[in-house]
Amino acid sequence: MFPEYRDPVERKGEIDNMKVGTFPGGLNLGSIESDTSSFHEVPSSGTVIIPLKQNSGKACAPTVKKKAEVKVGSIIGESTGNDEASVHATVSGVVTNIIKKYPDMKGGTVPAIEIESDSKNELDETIFEGTDIELIQKAGVVDLDIDAVPLHGKIALAKEKSVNTLIVNCVDVESQFSSRAVLLSERASEIAAGIDIISKILGVASVHIGVIDKASSAISSIKSACSSAQVVALKDKHPQSLKELLVKAILGKEIPQGGIPEDIGVTIISAETALFVARAVNDKKPVIERFITVAGGGLSKSKNVLVRIGTPIKDVLDYCGVSVGGAGKVIIGGPMMGIAIHTTDMPVTKETTGIFVQNESEIAEFPSGVCIKCGLCIDICPMKLMPFLISGFSEAGEYAMAEKSDIHGCNECGCCSYVCPVLIPMVHWIKIGKSEIKAQRSSE
Amino acid sequence: MKTPELVVSAIPHVHGGNSVQKMMINFMIALLPAVGMSVYFFGPGALVVIAISVGSTVAWEAIIQKVMGRPVVISNLTGAASGLVFAMMLPPTAPWWMICLGTFIIILLGKEVYGGIGNNPFNGVLIAWVVLQMSFRGEMAGWIYVAAELLTESTPLEVLKFEGLSSLIDYSYYTTSDLFIGRTTGFIGEVSAIALLIGGVFLIIRRVISWHIPVGFIAGVVFLSGIFWLVNPDECADPIFHLLAGGVFLAAFFVATDMPSSPTTPIGMLTYGFLCGVVTMVIRQWGAWDDGAFYSVFLICMLTPLLDKFKPKAYGR
Repeated sequence: MFPEYRDPVERKGEIDNMKVGTFPGGLNLGSIESDTSSFHEVPSSGTVIIPLKQNSGKACAPTVKKKAEVKVGSIIGESTGNDEASVHATVSGVVTNIIKKYPDMKGGTVPAIEIESDSKNELDETIFEGTDIELIQKAGVVDLDIDAVPLHGKIALAKEKSVNTLIVNCVDVESQFSSRAVLLSERASEIAAGIDIISKILGVASVHIGVIDKASSAISSIKSACSSAQVVALKDKHPQSLKELLVKAILGKEIPQGGIPEDIGVTIISAETALFVARAVNDKKPVIERFITVAGGGLSKSKNVLVRIGTPIKDVLDYCGVSVGGAGKVIIGGPMMGIAIHTTDMPVTKETTGIFVQNESEIAEFPSGVCIKCGLCIDICPMKLMPFLISGFSEAGEYAMAEKSDIHGCNECGCCSYVCPVLIPMVHWIKIGKSEIKAQRSSE
Repeated sequence: MKTPELVVSAIPHVHGGNSVQKMMINFMIALLPAVGMSVYFFGPGALVVIAISVGSTVAWEAIIQKVMGRPVVISNLTGAASGLVFAMMLPPTAPWWMICLGTFIIILLGKEVYGGIGNNPFNGVLIAWVVLQMSFRGEMAGWIYVAAELLTESTPLEVLKFEGLSSLIDYSYYTTSDLFIGRTTGFIGEVSAIALLIGGVFLIIRRVISWHIPVGFIAGVVFLSGIFWLVNPDECADPIFHLLAGGVFLAAFFVATDMPSSPTTPIGMLTYGFLCGVVTMVIRQWGAWDDGAFYSVFLICMLTPLLDKFKPKAYGR
């Protein structure tokens, strides 16, 4: 389906003698030929919308009023607890609106702040002060991955559970993206500095950096920049970027079902997170931008871009020269696990792991035939579940049986539906089952 | 707001392009070597049986689905594949009316009464085959005398059952290479072990079937026939003979692997295959029939819901 990923620098010799970690099951999707040159900076737009919740957990409280003047990096929403991350202005200008209910990509609504840019892009010179953790909280660093957990909360939890291992996830969220591999080969020293800071805060005994084996230039640059950590090459297989399978492939351990990596003494942060930690602690700078890949939508090569948070997706797509032909699909995240959005007016946030665009003709449909029990989904499931059974129970409303069949063990990677010969949208049913069970629990 | 219309749906947003139709095409391609060998040994008569079987199965499927008011889905080729594998289990002289009766049973009793492909708890092909075997014993043994130098008209397993191992060895009716290539009498598709093996390996490589059921089946046959052979080598044939003679390879690769009626989990499939192999040998050794390869699958099918309880150990459990 996709041509092979080609690394710009062939340094095969260096990774030949490395052990390549992997996990049973999963898919080799191949990858889109990627634009491996440096990140293109998307120009800031006229008006940005910055949601006050760009993380798992809660929204933070706004600290600005309507008509307030802000500069790049001014704090506009302040975090007081461990469940929320601070939010900063990403352009200089005037707050034109405080929207109470803005649609959240992951469902529900969140408050958001609309800022009209004066296109001067003046920097806020306020200098953050405090301990390293306070700096991270003030800079609004979240773990820039699918879950987007506020980092200071994550650190507090890790300390509480006395974590002794740190895994740095340098595997791109999906095979079609290359932003992490490129970031690693370009800014290895900054990332290494961030890794140092976090491992010191946590006091961990060992640090593992997981990188896809094909990204040989990323491996060699992080190896030379971060000598104390152990760099592990991982087989390019979907869904290697998920926490359960990183732990499995790197440490050979399994996270207990329904648990978190911290339960077995492991904390996982992404490569970008390490970079922003270094910026927050060393340069006292907040998170106002995101390194992402834009792929699909008629682009012959995927494009790596640096986008300010709050920039509407349509501006990013325009910059990349992507057109959504007809009734297309715009996906935040990759084609396997991303969330399809209903309008390109939605802004880029800290939760945007990448953008994947499909034209009308490329959209896959799942009309759901009758299961023929071929067993392909069991073969492919990296979590060793029986997807057809769980989804069948869930479709029939038998949620107790679905729970018995480990519905909560599913990490929603999409492999089962990808291989299904009768096109059953299994993840769809499993998601419905999970939310129904949650609703039942909360009403009890 | 003027924005392009966007489609929103659950993940995943891409699909690998696999379909039942593709799996069935691969399944039928895998049977082509066996079809070729049968036409070579049994002449065009075999081809006529295959044509009638495939054609009538597809026709019955269309008619019955129409009558039952369901969408006609002959294009997924499950009917054609069933018809082809059913023809493999018929003698080369099978009369046309018997074939049409059999294919009618495949579609009606094997599939459509349960709600179509996927919902059937039994393998329709086997139901039809057992009905014919019970009802038309003479027609189901209409062997064609293959090669002039063969000294018997009986199948290898009939010789073993009714004349004993000593006559099999003394008259050397069949050599091992005869059995391997298929210069024997028997059902159209079961005679050539090498052709079935090639097809079976093709199916596993294309992941139409997984290796568990065939390997379990063969292990079961070798296990029990090995015990018999070690205990009583004067009267019991060796495991190689039991593997090559009769329908073991056809049953292991093409019949027992029928998806809706076989288990789905790795351990379930291995156990299922192994039990099929063991029951095959029990029937061959003590049963009234000379070959038990198809009967054993027919019986063990009933254990499928039970064998599906052997779940793989989930991650983090």
